[in-house]
Amino acid sequence: MNLLSEMQRDALAEVFNIGAGRAALSISEIVGDEVKLSVPSIEVKKSVEIGVETLPLNNERFGTVHQNFTGPFEATAMLLFSEEKALEIVRDMMGSQMSLEELVEFEQEAMCELGNIILNACLSAMADILGISLNSTLPCYTIASCTELLHTITSSMDQDYVLVLNIVFTSVKRESEGQLILLLSSASLTNLIRHIDHFLGGI
Amino acid sequence: MPMPDTILEDVFNAINLGLIIVDAQYNVLFWNDWIFKHTHIKQVEAKGHKLGGVFSEPLPPTFLNALKNTLEYGLPTIISNALHRSPLPLYDFSSQTNEKVRINQSITMSPLLPQRGGRHCIIQVTDSTTSIKREKMLLSHSEILRRDAVTDSLTGIFNRRFFDEHYKIAFHNAIRQRQCLSILMVDIDYFKNYNDYYGHLSGDNTLRAVAQALKSQLFRASDVIARYGGEEFVLILPDLSAGQAEKVAEKLKNSVFNLAIPHKNSPLFNQVTISIGLSVGMPKVEYDILGRADAALYLAKQQGRNRCVALPLLDEEQK
Repeated sequence: MNLLSEMQRDALAEVFNIGAGRAALSISEIVGDEVKLSVPSIEVKKSVEIGVETLPLNNERFGTVHQNFTGPFEATAMLLFSEEKALEIVRDMMGSQMSLEELVEFEQEAMCELGNIILNACLSAMADILGISLNSTLPCYTIASCTELLHTITSSMDQDYVLVLNIVFTSVKRESEGQLILLLSSASLTNLIRHIDHFLGGI
Repeated sequence: MPMPDTILEDVFNAINLGLIIVDAQYNVLFWNDWIFKHTHIKQVEAKGHKLGGVFSEPLPPTFLNALKNTLEYGLPTIISNALHRSPLPLYDFSSQTNEKVRINQSITMSPLLPQRGGRHCIIQVTDSTTSIKREKMLLSHSEILRRDAVTDSLTGIFNRRFFDEHYKIAFHNAIRQRQCLSILMVDIDYFKNYNDYYGHLSGDNTLRAVAQALKSQLFRASDVIARYGGEEFVLILPDLSAGQAEKVAEKLKNSVFNLAIPHKNSPLFNQVTISIGLSVGMPKVEYDILGRADAALYLAKQQGRNRCVALPLLDEEQK
């Protein structure tokens, strides 16, 4: 089942790429080196269809940053990086600034900030382009296994839909891939589509 | 009944956390005692002024951008201590040193939407200095424990546990990189007799002296010496030809001989000596280099001690 038309999907991909661009700018500023972020693909699925094959969950454990946001539509936004990749990125970011790369607590805090930057950038791009205003909770960082993660996604009572975006993170040293997942109720998805159509109608 | 504002203000001033509230135009509306304590700038001096202009030092762009985003989009933002050590000019004035010490901070910015005046932002600042100290302490403790776990307490060189792990790694590295590997088994000659004659305390001192003498002959970071057990030591020397390895073995033997530790209970010499079994060559997975070095050591003992015997990894006829 294709829940979004090609036009709608392109528009949404555009929104998230703008967000990713803003996030990349902020991150580059922190790292003092060029970092690129892009969102090459976007998919909408029913959450019951989410399985191991949707998310490249071949890794055992994930670092996830999530924020719940509300506004014209409500969603749980989760940013996923394999734990290994998450630590690599954060270590690169912390690199020269402090020699504390072995300090787990700081990695978690740094990961939380990184997720916060990416999520906020995507949400603010959405707010700007769709002309809406969103509220959000503070970011929360957890490490979860693949099973726990799938459980979270498929068991959320009223959030039947999932927006899955692949995010490619490129820094001088490495290229990493993560996923941004938005869990939406059907009412929220309808509202999101309405806002996209409104935006498409306006151009 | 709603709580009176004065109590709320007392609460804000009592908590052990920095609080700054700014309005949509970046003007400071509130600033609690914690911030005063770490800036020595009173709330009345800051109130009504743009946050960026209140301090005598400029604020970093990341902080200002985060604040701008929070006020503009109403999205909460965190600034972690890991990536920004000390964004605000806050100091620990109670520090004993004469220098002002800037405190490590973790910052959270959350939007507030009062009834009028547009979006505000509440900035919470926590001092993460103590948690950094705690982590550093834990790290150094774990470093000590890690070192203790691989060190032989008597001689201070690596222990058997470390050797067993390191041997596996060195063995597989040599196979992968097609390099020679040398294993040297070292045994102090007539050590039982030594202990019987001089006592265990002297025996321990001799073990220490021999360990140090052997260790002093190693100059490459890749070379490892460990206590294998009792009066036996083992060395792993990667990437040496048979000839080079035999030269090292000769130097090791001489280094102990030159210590000239008296050993009146030695049937052959009047001083402490060692025998060395060396096995050297390009290893394959199925080879037992350790067993081979042990066999070489046995030969060295048979051939009269205070000497080194080298064996290739396989006998000529087995090749």
